[in-house]
Order: sequence, then structure tokens, then C-alpha cells
Amino acid sequence: MTMQSHRTAGAPASSEAPPFLEARGIHKRFGGVHALRGIDVVIERGRIYHLLGENGCGKSTLIKIISGAQPPDEGSITLEGKAHAALTPIESLAAGIETVYQDLSLIPNMTVAENVAISEQLVLGNGRLGRRLDRVLLRETARQALNAVDLPHNDDFLDTIVSELPLAMRQLVAIARAIATKAKLVIMDEPTTSLTRREVDNLVRVVGDLQRDRVAVLFVTHKLDECYRIGGEAIVFRDGQCVAQGPIRGYNKTQLGHLMTGKSIDGSRYRRGSPQAGTLLELKALGCSDHFKDVSLKVASGEVLGITGLMDSGRNELGLALAGVLAATGGTIEMAGKRVVLSQPTDAIAHGIGYVPEDRLAEGLFLDKPILVNMVALVLDQLRGRFGLLDRDKSRKLAEGLVQELQIATPDVDLPVQSLSGGNQQRVLIGRWLTIKPKLLLLHGPTVGVDVGSKDTIYKVIQALAEKGVALIVISDDLPELLQNCDRIVVMRNGRLAAEFTAESAQEEDLYDAMLGSAQETTA
Amino acid sequence: MSNGIVAAPHTAPTGAPNTAPPKPWHARLRAKLDRRPELFTLFLLVCVCGIVGFINPNFFQVATLFDIARSSVVIGLFALGVFVILAAGGIDVSFTAIAALTMYSLTQFVATRFPSAPLAMIFAMAAIGGGLLGLVNGFLVHQLKAPSLIVTIGTQYLFRGFLLTFIGTIWILNLPEQMDNFGKLALINYTSARGAKVMLPMFFLALPAAALLTWFILNRTLMGRAIFATGGSLAVAERLGYNLRAVHFFIFSYTGALAGVAGLIHVCANRLANPFDIVGMEIDVIAAVVLGGARITGGTGTVTGTLLGVLLVVVINSVLIMAGVPSTWQRVVVGSFILVAGAFFVVRRRR
Repeated sequence: MTMQSHRTAGAPASSEAPPFLEARGIHKRFGGVHALRGIDVVIERGRIYHLLGENGCGKSTLIKIISGAQPPDEGSITLEGKAHAALTPIESLAAGIETVYQDLSLIPNMTVAENVAISEQLVLGNGRLGRRLDRVLLRETARQALNAVDLPHNDDFLDTIVSELPLAMRQLVAIARAIATKAKLVIMDEPTTSLTRREVDNLVRVVGDLQRDRVAVLFVTHKLDECYRIGGEAIVFRDGQCVAQGPIRGYNKTQLGHLMTGKSIDGSRYRRGSPQAGTLLELKALGCSDHFKDVSLKVASGEVLGITGLMDSGRNELGLALAGVLAATGGTIEMAGKRVVLSQPTDAIAHGIGYVPEDRLAEGLFLDKPILVNMVALVLDQLRGRFGLLDRDKSRKLAEGLVQELQIATPDVDLPVQSLSGGNQQRVLIGRWLTIKPKLLLLHGPTVGVDVGSKDTIYKVIQALAEKGVALIVISDDLPELLQNCDRIVVMRNGRLAAEFTAESAQEEDLYDAMLGSAQETTA
Repeated sequence: MSNGIVAAPHTAPTGAPNTAPPKPWHARLRAKLDRRPELFTLFLLVCVCGIVGFINPNFFQVATLFDIARSSVVIGLFALGVFVILAAGGIDVSFTAIAALTMYSLTQFVATRFPSAPLAMIFAMAAIGGGLLGLVNGFLVHQLKAPSLIVTIGTQYLFRGFLLTFIGTIWILNLPEQMDNFGKLALINYTSARGAKVMLPMFFLALPAAALLTWFILNRTLMGRAIFATGGSLAVAERLGYNLRAVHFFIFSYTGALAGVAGLIHVCANRLANPFDIVGMEIDVIAAVVLGGARITGGTGTVTGTLLGVLLVVVINSVLIMAGVPSTWQRVVVGSFILVAGAFFVVRRRR
């Protein structure tokens, strides 16, 4: 683990005044996940910061703590010399901290003017709601802020309901809200994901204006090119810890990529076998509305293919299209040479395609139901006994067999799934798909939120399945995971296949470069 | 807008100068209805009145108008309350039980203990009593984080059971004098050409007054905006620092207070207090609010729309008979309208 010395972003000698924000020893746990492990961050007015790190490294959690959406478990936040154990949203706003959330956090049924400017009045009344709404002030504030981000500011636009706006405009409205009041710190969580080049230029200009007004700006982003253009300080997180801090131009992209991903504890490959001859799945110029297009791929039985890319690269949607959750809008899918149409999940299941989703809690498991029930959910038809009732013995045998095969640590298949650890829950979900004897299994983020030991078991399961001739597609952010487990890795960017690597010889930095793209000239 | 970032894609208000090519009439109508779904309610209302009036010209007379106005008061007060809760993304089915409990115990209290209570004081007590019962709902919804439908089904049983078990089950026929008189007090007396006397009662004023107050709260105070924000997205509203506890407490007590007043007016108008009354009207009221364009999922609707929805339901319930439609058919008509309106609003959203 390369540990750069923690250089706090102290302003040059002139700073006798306390920094605007000082977070010390912040810890945050969610259930078994230790999301932040002792974070120290100092933010000075008039400076620009880029918070960098892989998905799930704790960036968003820190932002929620600073903006008052969640309290930290340990540590303190000092605002202009005044210490707080935790902030409320109103305290944070009143202190001048404005956040542009990744989901934008706009209220869909309200007008542009209200979304942009109502927070000001909430803060004026210290959160009290029994106050007259000052409509003149509301419109005036909204007009100025919209003007600053170059959105129209006529009455028609002010009165437009936010949900009627296209996404890029909503993103700018969210930014306008952040700068509507006299903010001292503006946090922007992935603010450019849906902006075109010209709108990004505009944003860069807005940031320059903010800096001149001595406003601090904290960016959270994956787009390193934009960070270099804007300049300022880089803060790099990995696994809930700050691993480096310093002027962003002091690092090159490869160094940053290296800091973000870190070295895996054991880089040895799990993959030993090799794919069978022939093609199981073939995609020909597959497209899906504006998520991805022109994706052509071949996967053989017994092959492990990795797919990676940024959140908005289209990789998630490609997985969903193969699972029949999203219907493809162009191109063809062939299984073993025959054209198939996957317009709903049951189509995919009928063709022997299984999909293990990333968010197993929301999309996959019935947490309060027994392991047995979760495992047999897809094959109830085959387990029908007399009178059409579920054959208890058959299903128990099936579930117990899978528990053994997947080494799930439980004394009893009748215990609820929520009694298991994350890694074991994930294996239950994989087990469910094994019951349909899949030809192709899609695993989306198979080890997200899973401890190291469980990762090892899941990787062994993946390899064992490949040995049996199942084709596997692993969609993941975890680059070492892909390098250790796959035959080939394809990288998606802006909805297209950007590069393909042979996993055995590829380097993590190369993959990262391909994800980000060397020059981000927009395709729009 | 120097860089000319995309022009606002607003659904063009008719007549506004717009460089876009003129849209066909149906697209314009569609856009207009998008903005103001209550126009659809108005359209249904005009249709019903037109048809009834065509079949029976007696419909178009002052007596009918007064009749409709009079019948709208209680359901209208209820509907305004339900609309406020619906706007915040909740629902309430206990308001009828609140009204019944408040009106009956208050009438009994005034009749037996405090016959000299001034009318204004009785009204204040009705509003406060109803408000406190509503506060119970608000407290439970906020504290338990339970769906408001479940909570208010529970409290409806609770309030009603309390009324019938502990307060009384017999009709109070001899109302306190001041309440009795208030029910008979006229705002307008009118003698028709044929000599029939009709009057619009004073208590009718409660409806426009409550409508104005509700409009003011929703559109001119931060609380009103917080209510719509909560209905738009509870999670986002909380993140932006809206005090959800205040919102929940307010909406349920406000509805409770309106229900208390509505219950009292119901007693004065009918000149008797029947503890078995009122409960059972919930569906009519919610139907009126939904017909007025408020989505059951929250965050939308207007006071005008709610009032139009109330008028529509009242007109169907009270005057369809004038067109020779048997009263059993009223429900069929209301039901069909709700389905038509529901389908209309769903299509609107899917566009």
C-alpha cells in the first residue's frame, strides 16, 4: 500500500484564521461495512478540491456527513473554528455549505424558481415553516443564479416544472441552486455526467467565478481530464481512507489511477482454465436507446469475460439488456448460433441466462425468508409434488446440495437470509441461478460489500463454473478482480466498446486509462 | 442566455410568442391540460350540467344553485383537508370519524354543561378539538413512519369506537339554541317568480373562507411549499432541510380542524346530532379530490381543482335525479368518471 504523507491543505503562512472546514477522525459504519476509517480533511476558502476514488471508497459518505444528511459515528467537524459532533442539513446550509448531489436532489413537482431559491428562505427562517413565502425575493434570487450558470431566466422558465426539463438542464438547475445563496463551500458530486462539452466549459467558468468570490469548491468526479483543466488540490480515497492529498497537477493520470485502485493484497490469478472452442453468445451491433450502441461481442462456453467502465459508460445497461430487464433497441443477440429476443427476464431465463444483480438487497434476495425459499425461487415448477404443492424434500435436498457446493456458512437452510454475512448472501443468490443450470451467468459487482475471505470463495466458485462449461460475464469496478478472474476484459466508454484486453497481460493502469479515455472530446 | 443553451422546453402557454412551429390543436389542448388538469374536471362538470339541464330545464334555477351550494359545504371542507394531506403524499380516512366525535361530544357538552357558550367559541372548540385529534394522526404517522393509510384506518376505528362506547349513541334532537339558530340563519333570501322561497344559509361562507385560507397556506407560506416538496419527494425534502415533523403535524391537525368545523356545520344544518352520521363519506370525499386533479401519489393538485371536484360529486349526487336518473345510478356515474379521470391522468404522465 503506497501511503503518501498526509499533507493538509494548509494555506501559505498568511492563514491565522481557522480553515473554513476541518473534519477530524471521521468514522462511519453501515452495518458491517466500515465506509470511512478515520478521515481527516481540511478545506480552505477560495480553493478547489477534487475528491477522487473508486466507487464505494467512501466519497459519497463523506459528502453526506459534511452536508448534514448523515451523522458520523466518530470524529468532529469544525466550521470556521466552531466544533460540531454532527451537522443537520439546515446547520450545514446556514454555514454556507451547498451540495449538488449526484441524483441532483431536485423536487420534481416544483418550479425551477422554487427549486433554485427556496433554500435561502428556509435558512433565513432557521428552518421554521410558519413564514410567509417571499415571492419577490424567490424570483430575484432564482434569476441571478440561473443567469450565473447561463440558463434562461425569463418568467416562463422560472415557472417551468423541473420534471419537464431534460436531464442536462436539471443538472444546471441543481448547480444554480448551490450558488444561489452566498455559499462558502460548494460540493459537486459528479456534476458533469450528463453535460455536453459546451456546458462543461460553462461550468468551468462558473467555478472560476466562485473561486474569485473566495468560495471553496469540492468536486467528486471520475473525469480526470476535467480535474486537470480546473486545477486545484487532489484528495484521493481508497477503502474509506485518505491515501494522498496534494496539487492535482503534481500527479499524472497513471499515478492517480494507481492511488485510487491500490495494489491488491494477492495479485495471483484465479483463472487457470481456458475457454472452450466455438461461440455461445454473440452480440452483433447491439444497442439500447441512448445507453449504449454498436456493441459486438463473442463469448464462448467456459469463458470468463470482464466488462468494466465508468458508471455512465453503458456497462450496467448492457448487463440489464442481456438479462432481459432492458429491451435492446438495435442489433441482434445470438445464443449458440440462434437469434434470440430478450424482452423480459423470463426470456433470458428460458435461454439459460442468469443475472446476479449488483444490489442484491433491493433486486435479488427476500431477506426475511429462509435460505431454502430464496434458493428454489426460480425452479418452483420443477419442484412441484402431489396436488401441485411444493415438494419439501426435493427442495430441501436441492438447497442443501447448493449450500455445500458453494460453502455457505450456515447450520440450517431454514434460517432467514439476513442471518448471513454479505459474502454468504451473495453465494445464496448465485446458488439460486445455478438451479436453472445456466449456460451464461452474468455477475454484476459480485464482490461489492464482501470481505476478503468471501471474495476468495466467490472467485473459486466463478472458476469452478467456468470449468463446468458455463460462460460468465463479470461486470465490475474492481479492476484487480477482473484481472484475476477473466480471460478477456472489455472496457466501455460513452456507450461503446472502447478497448479489449487479454486479462493475463493487462495492467490495471491501462484499464483505467481506457475507462477514462485519453482525450475526452465529446462525441455529442 | 448568451451561449444559447437549449431553449426552455416549456409547454407553451397559448398566445405566447414562440418561434416553434404552431402545434396542432390537440397538442395545444393536451399541453394546456397538462398544466391545468382541473380544466378536465370543469369540462365534466359543464357536460353533466348541460345534459341534466337539457333533459330537465328546471335545473337552471336559483333553487338548484342554492341547493348545490348548501350541499357542498361539509364535503368541501373535508375535501380541502384531504387535498392538503394528499399534496404532501399522504392520505387520511379518519377525518369523518374526527368530525363525528367532535360534533357529537361538543353538542352534548354545550347542551348539558355550557348552554350559554357563544357561537364563535363553539366553533373555536370544534376546530381545536378536531385539530388535536388530527395531531394524533400526525404524531403516529411521523413517529411510526407508518403509511398514513394504515394509521388513519386505525384511528378511524379508534375515534368512532370511542364515540359510540364512551360518549353516546342517542340522537340529540334538541340542539342548543344558538346552534339551531345558526343553521337557519340566511345569507341570501330569494323568492322565485312562482313564489317559492329559497335561502342560502350563512354557514355556506365557511367553504369559501376555508378555500381561501387553504390556498393562502399552500401558495404563500413556506409551509405550503414544504407540503408540496414532501409530496414530490420525501427523501429529497428531508435532505434539503425541510422539517418533516412540522409538515406531518401541521397537515393532519389542519385537516382535523377543518373536519371538526365541518362536523359542527353538519349538526347545525341538519338540526340534530346523530353519532352514526358522517362516517362513510370518506370515499366520496377522496373521489372528489382525485376528480379535481390531485394525484393520489402526492405533490400535485390545486384548491380550485378540489372545489371543482367537490361540485362535480355534489352535482352528480344531488341533481342527477332531476334528469330522471335513478339514485342508484349515481354511484355508477361517479365511478365511471373516476375511471375516466384516472385513465386520463395516467396517460398524461406516460407521455
